[in-house]
Amino acid sequence: MASSTLTTPIAEIGSAPVHGGNRSTRKRIARAFGYAGLVIAAAAVLLPFFWMVMSSLKTNNDVFTVPIQWIPKTFVWSNYVDIWQKSDMSTWLKNTMILSVAVTFLQLLTGSFAAYGFSKVRFPGRDVLFLAYIGTIAVPWQAYMIPQFILMSKLHLVNTLWSIVALQAFGAFGVFLMKQFYETVPEALSEAARIDGLSEYGIYRRIMLPLSVPALASLALLTFTKTWNDYLGPLIYLRSPNLWTIQLGLKSFVGQYNAEYALIMTGSVLSVLPIAIIFMLGQRYFVEGIATSGLKG
Amino acid sequence: MKRSIATGLGIAAALSMTLTGCGGGSGGTGSDSAASAGPVTISLAGWSLATTPEFKTLADAFHAANPNITVELKEYDAANYDTQMVADLAAHSAPDMYVQKNLMNFFTYQDGGQLMDVSDVAKKLGKGISGLNAYKVDGATYAIPYRQDSWYLYYNKDLFDAAGVGYPDGTWTWDDYAKNAGLLAAGLKAAGSRAQATYQHGWQSLVQGFANAQSPKADILKGDFEYMKPFYKRAIAMQTAGDQPTYGTVTTNSLTYQAQFGKQKSAMMPMGSWYVATLIAQEATKDADTFNWGFAPIPQLDSSTITKPVTFADPTGIGINPAIDKSKVTAAKAFLAFIGGEDASTKLAVIGITPAYSSDAVTTVYFGVKGVPSDDLSRSAFATHDTKPENPVSKDTAAIQHILLDMHSSIMSGSKSVDAGIAEAEARVKSEVLNK
Amino acid sequence: MATTTVVARRPGSRLKWRNTLLGWSFILPNFIGFAVLTLVPVIALFYIASTDWNAFGTARLVGLDNFTRLLSDHSFRIALWNTVYYTAFHIPLTLGLSLALALLLNRKMRGVAFFRTAAFFPYVTSIVAIAVVWNMLFSPEFGPINQFLTSIGISHPPGWTTSSTWAMPAVIIVGTWREMGYYMLLFLAGLQTIPPELYEAARVDGANPWQRFLNVTIPCLRPTTFFITVMLTIGSFNVFDLILVMTNGGPGQSTLVLSQYIYQKGFVENKFGYASAVAIVLFLICIAVTVVQFVINKRREN
Repeated sequence: MASSTLTTPIAEIGSAPVHGGNRSTRKRIARAFGYAGLVIAAAAVLLPFFWMVMSSLKTNNDVFTVPIQWIPKTFVWSNYVDIWQKSDMSTWLKNTMILSVAVTFLQLLTGSFAAYGFSKVRFPGRDVLFLAYIGTIAVPWQAYMIPQFILMSKLHLVNTLWSIVALQAFGAFGVFLMKQFYETVPEALSEAARIDGLSEYGIYRRIMLPLSVPALASLALLTFTKTWNDYLGPLIYLRSPNLWTIQLGLKSFVGQYNAEYALIMTGSVLSVLPIAIIFMLGQRYFVEGIATSGLKG
Repeated sequence: MKRSIATGLGIAAALSMTLTGCGGGSGGTGSDSAASAGPVTISLAGWSLATTPEFKTLADAFHAANPNITVELKEYDAANYDTQMVADLAAHSAPDMYVQKNLMNFFTYQDGGQLMDVSDVAKKLGKGISGLNAYKVDGATYAIPYRQDSWYLYYNKDLFDAAGVGYPDGTWTWDDYAKNAGLLAAGLKAAGSRAQATYQHGWQSLVQGFANAQSPKADILKGDFEYMKPFYKRAIAMQTAGDQPTYGTVTTNSLTYQAQFGKQKSAMMPMGSWYVATLIAQEATKDADTFNWGFAPIPQLDSSTITKPVTFADPTGIGINPAIDKSKVTAAKAFLAFIGGEDASTKLAVIGITPAYSSDAVTTVYFGVKGVPSDDLSRSAFATHDTKPENPVSKDTAAIQHILLDMHSSIMSGSKSVDAGIAEAEARVKSEVLNK
Repeated sequence: MATTTVVARRPGSRLKWRNTLLGWSFILPNFIGFAVLTLVPVIALFYIASTDWNAFGTARLVGLDNFTRLLSDHSFRIALWNTVYYTAFHIPLTLGLSLALALLLNRKMRGVAFFRTAAFFPYVTSIVAIAVVWNMLFSPEFGPINQFLTSIGISHPPGWTTSSTWAMPAVIIVGTWREMGYYMLLFLAGLQTIPPELYEAARVDGANPWQRFLNVTIPCLRPTTFFITVMLTIGSFNVFDLILVMTNGGPGQSTLVLSQYIYQKGFVENKFGYASAVAIVLFLICIAVTVVQFVINKRREN
C-alpha cells in the first residue's frame, strides 16, 4: 500500500520554490501583503456582523438611526442577560438544537444511503427518478406549502417538532451532494472490495462512508445551518410558544406597534455563535486529506 | 410499472385533498347538544400575546361578566398572522373565533366562506359603534369591530416653542401643514436644533390613505388615481426641501416612527391612534424622551370638513369560524356582542386602545389614563372624526393595493415622476385587474 | 445478501431484478419520506394550477386559463426578466468567487480556519439582519458606500436600493456576498477528492501552476462543479427571502422576481391556482436548464 498523504496541502497554485535569500525575503513580503489583503477582505465581509454585535449593545430606539451609529453611545451589556430573562431563549435554543441535530443526522444517513443506490447501482428508471428528485428542488416551496400543510395536518404532525424533522430530513439536496461525491470514487475500489467478498452494504459502510468524510462534514454543516436558520417552516408548523425555534422567538420581539430591535440583534448574535464554533472546530473534517492508496496495492 | 403506480396514488391523494375543501356554513363536529348549561370554552386567535394586551383584556373582561364561558387565546405571529390563519383554515385547524386584522384580508375570509353570518349580533349593538358597516357584505354582517383606529397629527410642543411656530389648532389643511413644516424647519435650524420639521413614515397609507379618504368621489376600485397627484406632489416637495427625511433614507435605514417622534427627531408626525399607548409605554421604559406633546386632528383637504375631520383606518374586528362546534355558537355570539359594547370599550380605553364603540364614558376613561395629553384639542381629535375605511371590501382590493404599493415606492424614491408613476399604475390596474 | 456476484456487468433479467431490489433498498428510507412529504404536494401543485383554488373552498377546474393569462401578464414578464437578470450575474460571480476562495484557503497557513469561518459568516447570519445592514450600507445619503464613492470623486453615486436601475445590482452584490462561503465549502470538500499523486505527476511532467489547475483541478472537480452549478442555478431562479426582506420587489417592480410573484399571488391575493401556474413555469425553466447541464455533464463524463 502506498503511503497516505494526510496533511499535505493539495492545491498549490502559485507557490514558488524557495531558492535563496532574496527570493525568501520577497516571498515573506508577498506573504505579509497577502495576509494583509486577507485581513482587509475578512473585515469587509464581517462588517455587517460587526454592526449586529454593536447594535445588540444599544437601546431599542438607537439601533436604527441616521447617521449610522457604529459604536453605541452607552454599552447596554444587560441586553445579553435580559434576553434570557425577558424571553424564553433557553427553550428556543433547546428546540433549535434538537431539530438541527435530528434533521442533520437523518439527512446524512438517508441521503448518503440513497446516494449510494443512485450512484453505484444500476437499475431501470434510476436516472429519471433522480431527475424527479432534482426537479422538486426546483419548485419554490411557497407554491406547494399549503397542500403540504394540509397533508401534514391530516397526518397529525402539525404543531409538533416532528413536522420539521419530517419536512427537512428527506430532502433531495443531501442525496444529490453525496451522489456527486461517490462519483469521484473510482469504481476500481468497489470492484476490489466486491472481489474480496463485501456486499454492497458493506462497501457503503466500509469504503464509501470513510472516503467521503469531507462531503459528509460539509453536508452536515450546511444542513445544520439551514435547519438552524429556517424561519418559514417553523412559522407554519410550530405554533405553540413552547415549540418555537430561535428565529421564531426573535420575531416575537416584533410586536405590531413596537419592536425591541436591540434584543433582536442580541438574539441574532447569540444564534450565530454555535455554528461559528462548530465550523471553526470542525475544520479538519472539511479539508482532511483522503487516502486513496488502495489503488496501488 | 412501479413509477406509474406511485404517480397514480400521488394524484389520487392530491385530488382528494383539494376536492374536499371546507365549504362555508356547517361542519360542526362532536355534540349537537342544544342546551349549553355547563361551562364552555371558546378559542380566539390573537397575535404577540405578550406585547399586545387587548386580547387578554377582552377575554378576561368577558369571563368576569360570564363566568360560565372561558375564552382561550391562541398565539399567532404578528407580521405573518394571515399566512398562518389561511393555512389553518385550509387544514380545518383554525380556532373558533379569529381577529380580522384589516378589511383586505376580511374579504379573503368572507369570500372564502370562512366567516359566520353574525347579523343578529350586529342588529343589537348600540348606535355609537363605528366600522360595523365595513363588515357588511350583501346585506349580512360577518364580523364585529372592537377597535377603530384613526390617524392624528402628533406634535412636539417643546420643539414648536423652540422654533417659534404655533401649535396645530384643528383647522389645518394640508397646505397649512406644508407651510408650517417649512416654518418649523427654518425655526429649528435657527434655534440650533437638529430635529426635522416632520416625519412621514414609509407606508403607502401616509399619502394614499388620506388621498383616498379625503378626496371627493375617490375610489381605488375604479382604477383612476388622478386625485392622488396633489398629495404626492406635496410629499415630494417636502422631502426635497428637507422638511422630512427622504423616503430612501426612511426605508434603507429602517427608521422607526417610534424613535423619530419619541426621541424628538421630528417636531410633528402623522400617525395612527395606536401610537398614543406606545409612546406612553416608551416614556416609562426610557426608550422615548419625556417631553410635552399632544395630538391634533389630521390636516384636511380643505376647510369644509374642519368640524368633523375626515381620517381613515380599517376597523379591527372578530369573526366566527363556521367550523365551530354547534354547541358553542351561542357563547361565541355572546362574546361578539360583548366586544362591541360599552363595558369592553372602557376596558380597552384603559390600556390605550381606541375602541370601535365611542361614548362620553369611553372618552373620559381614555383621557383619565396617566400620560395621555389632556388638552381640549386632543380630546376633540379623539372623540370627533369621520373615519373612512382604508380598504374597500372587494376581490380586486389586494391586487390594486399592491399595484399602488409599487407606485408609492417608485414615486417616493424618485425612480418615477408623480405623473409617470400614476399613469403606470392606472395602466397596470386596467390590464392586470379590471380586465380579468 | 449475495456477495460474490459481479453486479451490473451482464444484462440479464434476473440480474436486473436483483439490481432493482438492491437499488431500491438503498433508496427507500429517503424515498418514502421524500415521496409522501414532497412529491405528493408537488403533484398536487400541478393539479391546482388548472383550477382557481383560493385555499378554502373546493377547487374549480379552469383548464389552461391560468396559463393563457400568464402570456399576457405584464407583471409576470417583468418578474421573469428580473429573475433571468439576477441569475445571469449571480451564477458566474458566485461560482468564480467561491472557487477562488476555496483554492486560496485550501492550504495550511496560520489562521486559515479563521478566514474560512469569516467567508462562511454571511451565510450563517440571519437574512433579516443581512438585509437591514446592507440597506444601511447602501443608503444613498448616509451610507458608508456612497460616502466612500463621493470621497474618491464620484459626484452622483448610485441610489442602490432606492433606485430602480441600481436596486438589482445591489441585490446581486449581497446575494453573492452571502452565498460565496456556502459554495466555497462545497468546493473545498470537492478539492479534497483530488489525489495529490496527480499533481505530483503533472509537476514532474513540467506543468506550471496554471496548467496544473487547468488539467488536473478542473477535470477532477467536475462532479462537484456540476453539482454546484445546478444548485446555484436552481437557487438563483428561486431567489426569494433575500429580495423579500431587502427590497420587497421595489422600488416599483424593479426587483420583482418569480418566486416573490408566486408568494404575492398566492398568499396576499389568495389566487393559489394562478400562483401554481407561475410556479410550474418557473419549475419548467429550471428543469430545462438543469437537463441541459445534465447532458453536458454526461458528455464530459464519457
